[in-house]
Amino acid sequence: MKYILLMSGTKVGVDGYHAWSPKDIQAHMAVLHSINDRLAASGEFVATQGLAEPTEAKVVRGEKNGIPVTDGVFPEAKEFLLGYWIVDVATPERAYVIAGQISAAPGPGGIPTNMPIEVRRFATFEQSGSK
Amino acid sequence: MKYILMMNTMKAGQGIPNWAGKDLQAHIAFMMNLNKDLRDSGELVSAEGLSFPDQAKLVRAGKNGVPITDGVFPESKEFLAGFWIVDVDTPERAYAIAAQASAAPGPGGAPLNMPIEVRPVMSAPPPEMM
Repeated sequence: MKYILLMSGTKVGVDGYHAWSPKDIQAHMAVLHSINDRLAASGEFVATQGLAEPTEAKVVRGEKNGIPVTDGVFPEAKEFLLGYWIVDVATPERAYVIAGQISAAPGPGGIPTNMPIEVRRFATFEQSGSK
Repeated sequence: MKYILMMNTMKAGQGIPNWAGKDLQAHIAFMMNLNKDLRDSGELVSAEGLSFPDQAKLVRAGKNGVPITDGVFPESKEFLAGFWIVDVDTPERAYAIAAQASAAPGPGGAPLNMPIEVRPVMSAPPPEMM
């Protein structure tokens, strides 16, 4: 079963991350890389991706003539996707364990961020378009 | 340049589970067709649909490393319904694809004109973060 683990945050939260010391950022990234390595070794890794800053986000709608209408104004409380992991696991509980590991990645001073990770199963009614 | 196109929904959503079978079929056929066009043009990296928000869980690490799961979300929360990752030459091309997805048909075949969030995907973290 494929699950996606979504790491989200508000604009304010992202600004906070920019204030972390390089050492804290390195320690955080090292733990995430180590999680990726272990998922690759267990054969559960499908994909992971980090997204660019929310400041680069646009919201697009199609107009009547098909021309895209872009806007970049979002409510302050909006949660932006920061990154995700796609894992292929035997049980939902296993997906929760991996999400727990990501949640425990260290923040400033090495203290676990305990950030919430949203866990969702992929829909099966539609054929996957992934290559 | 890689972009992610995100289709978000509230829990109430577009009421997709209540759509008529014909409307749902037309919607999915439209999406499959869009995916096919993007695959043919070599721009599709991946496309995925997610299960409905009622199956979403929020997970945090407990002190002992045991995951703590919760399934209660604020009413106003936007849920990711699905996404495309495309590899395109310009942001404008990503916006054009997003507009196509936005115009997917809803009940009675009327375009949904749903908002699609478009963001560049990071190529790799800066060296100082590695």
